[in-house]
Amino acid sequence: MKRREIIKWLGAAVAGAKGAQLSAPVFAQAPRDTITIAQASDAQTMDPGRHTHFPTANVLFHIFDALVTVDEDGRFQPALAESWSNPNPLTWQFKLRRGVRFHNGEEFNADAVKFSFDRVLNREFRSPMLARISHIRSVDVVDPFTVNFTTAAPFPTMLFSVVEASFAALIMPPRYARETAPEVLARQPVGTGPYRFVEWRRDDRVVLEANPDYWGGAPRIRRAVWRPISETRTRIAELRSGGVDLAGDIPPEEVAGLNRAPTKVVDVASDALFFFAFETLRPSPLQDRRVRQAMHYAIDVDAIQRAIMGGYGRRIAVTLPRTAFGYPQDMQPYPYDPARARALLAEAGHANGFALPLTARQGRYLKDREVMEACFGYLSRVGIRVEARYLEQSVWAQVSERRGREGLIFGGWSGMDADLVWYPLLYTGQFQSYYSNPQLDALLDRGRSSVDQDERLRIYRQAAEIIKDDAPLLPLFQPPLIYGLNARLNWRPRTDTMINLRSAAFA
Amino acid sequence: MFTFLASRVVYTLVVVWGVSIAVFLLIRLGGDPTALFLPPEANAEEIVRMREALGFDRPYLIQYVDFLLRALGGDFGFSLRQQQPAMGLVLDRLPATLELGAVALALSLLIGIPLGLVSATHRGSWIDRLAMLVSLFGQSFPAFWLAIMMILLFSETLTVLPPSGRGGLAHLVMPGTALAAFSTAIITRLLRSSMIEVLQSDYIRTARSKGLAPRAVIFRHALRNAAIPTLTVVGLQVGALLGGAVITEEVFAYPGVGRLAVQAIAQRDFAVVQAFVIFSAVLIVSINLLIDAVYVWLDPRLRQR
Repeated sequence: MKRREIIKWLGAAVAGAKGAQLSAPVFAQAPRDTITIAQASDAQTMDPGRHTHFPTANVLFHIFDALVTVDEDGRFQPALAESWSNPNPLTWQFKLRRGVRFHNGEEFNADAVKFSFDRVLNREFRSPMLARISHIRSVDVVDPFTVNFTTAAPFPTMLFSVVEASFAALIMPPRYARETAPEVLARQPVGTGPYRFVEWRRDDRVVLEANPDYWGGAPRIRRAVWRPISETRTRIAELRSGGVDLAGDIPPEEVAGLNRAPTKVVDVASDALFFFAFETLRPSPLQDRRVRQAMHYAIDVDAIQRAIMGGYGRRIAVTLPRTAFGYPQDMQPYPYDPARARALLAEAGHANGFALPLTARQGRYLKDREVMEACFGYLSRVGIRVEARYLEQSVWAQVSERRGREGLIFGGWSGMDADLVWYPLLYTGQFQSYYSNPQLDALLDRGRSSVDQDERLRIYRQAAEIIKDDAPLLPLFQPPLIYGLNARLNWRPRTDTMINLRSAAFA
Repeated sequence: MFTFLASRVVYTLVVVWGVSIAVFLLIRLGGDPTALFLPPEANAEEIVRMREALGFDRPYLIQYVDFLLRALGGDFGFSLRQQQPAMGLVLDRLPATLELGAVALALSLLIGIPLGLVSATHRGSWIDRLAMLVSLFGQSFPAFWLAIMMILLFSETLTVLPPSGRGGLAHLVMPGTALAAFSTAIITRLLRSSMIEVLQSDYIRTARSKGLAPRAVIFRHALRNAAIPTLTVVGLQVGALLGGAVITEEVFAYPGVGRLAVQAIAQRDFAVVQAFVIFSAVLIVSINLLIDAVYVWLDPRLRQR
């Protein structure tokens, strides 16, 4: 190449670069029409009845709707059902929204609701989510826009079974679902949701485009791309370099770095719970209430929350999310008082302390192991030596199935109604329960057999007193959900970890 | 030569069969996937019912025979989580992994061979010392560390390369380099040492003393002999690349078979893990078979057997 030619080429390149620079601000001002969301894993299927996986549910929640939804404060709101009532304690009646169509043109009506629930309630279908909805005895069409859900016993927590977080409760188009082979339903979803399915390249991306006819108003962002990026560092790099607009599972120590342009951080206390359960059914020092209380006084939970969670999340006084139905708002947690802890232990005959086994899984929740280790540090100061046994997920599941959890148990549970947390964790003989108290059982029975929500609140207030005083669970806090965002994105997180883009918009 | 290759084929089949038993038992050591598949509120009875429906309650021997008979017919079972045929899921992701593996292998050969040759012929020079230092780094840095450092530098700080995903050539640069680092280092070192050994042998001295051009001595006489141990290692490296892809793909969110395998293991998706491991075993032993054939071609002594 001759020198003159090289100069010409260089000149052209410089001009091109200048042109690009000039046009860049124009792009920046144009409204962004695509949002890219990074989750830790890909969707597993496009059939809402066949998974138990939150990242899958987040994608499907944009293609489908449920009968009801919850807002960012955890309150129920109408979705495909406009209103609901209890004509009698065994019936939940839903009045459905009119004029809604599925993406393929099918009309949404009571038949679609009945079809969708019958499909997953059928035992032959083997939906893994059956446990969440199995209380529903039958779904009956009253008129084209009214359905009755009937239960064998009063079922006050029905709305938690028909909201999108009850994954199998999303409504499908009956004609399409009947005519389509299961393997195809698992790849080609059709719903009523704000976005239509475009393509799914497994382990790479799910692409959705806005449904302009959405009953709740067309979404502001035209395309949604869901990408699976499991490595935290890589998610953050994508966010910082503009490849991703919304990334979940950000650890607290990354917040400072992400809280400057072009990114920002939003957080919410999740409705998951960090707590220890005590194995109180077999002989051990843990059968003595004073020992259990002493352990409450021994641990400085606030300090742990500050140091490990960066202050994010929410301290709880009893094992229930603060925004859940039945949480006693005025109740205070046990204060940090190691002297009191030692006195109680001495009174119980353990002045010299004792060794205590721990059964836990690790790596399941945000910084679970660090939180546990910090607690054991505090316990050792009052003489309780924790002998930790950390289990791999599936081993933990097997130990649990044999009811082989011992000593101190690091749980992990969620639920936005006292019945959904205390009944499984504390009621005598329940699969997850390592505690028995007839007085509490009676209250929990009453709480779940009434659909009068005021009466239930009074019952759970009494239950909360017993739980705090008898101390079968050692509550820590609700861990945070931390998201990294494109600084121009307006979006609010939900406590139940579901991502909702319906009202998301770029500034 | 025929009997040599035939015995190799039989050996290959035995290896794959052995692998099928090993993976079948190993994946089951950690327990069955039923409880992980169900939501936390599922009780013991529901877990048992689902386990029976999935067939994981049967004795291992029966499960294995069932699996083996189906696999011989080409059916590797259904993914529990994705409700798709397991082998199909593996094969769908294969092009992505082959692309990445090919880039990594090409990189390690294109860098490793010249570097090994030059360090051997210029032994003790600054270029030799530099090459040994670089290959020491390549051998000792774990792939995931290298990967994350590259992401920090090229994606987050300089923003010149995309940190994740699959697309154009730009998406292959970092994962390809991270994957190639170890094999480049090992090829460089091995070729260097075997070249040095060969260059000191009598026939090379003879070739030189009769006035053959240095280029001809190195390429026609020395390299041909020095290449055999290197070739063995290249064959082994193909397996290592597949294994390395597991980590590299996870870090770079690259949609290949390695990533599929990691997730399947985490979720105890037995059918997918089995399909992946058996497929990898077949691939690796086939490559070794191919290498055996190349030996025969390179080494005339083997032809007479």
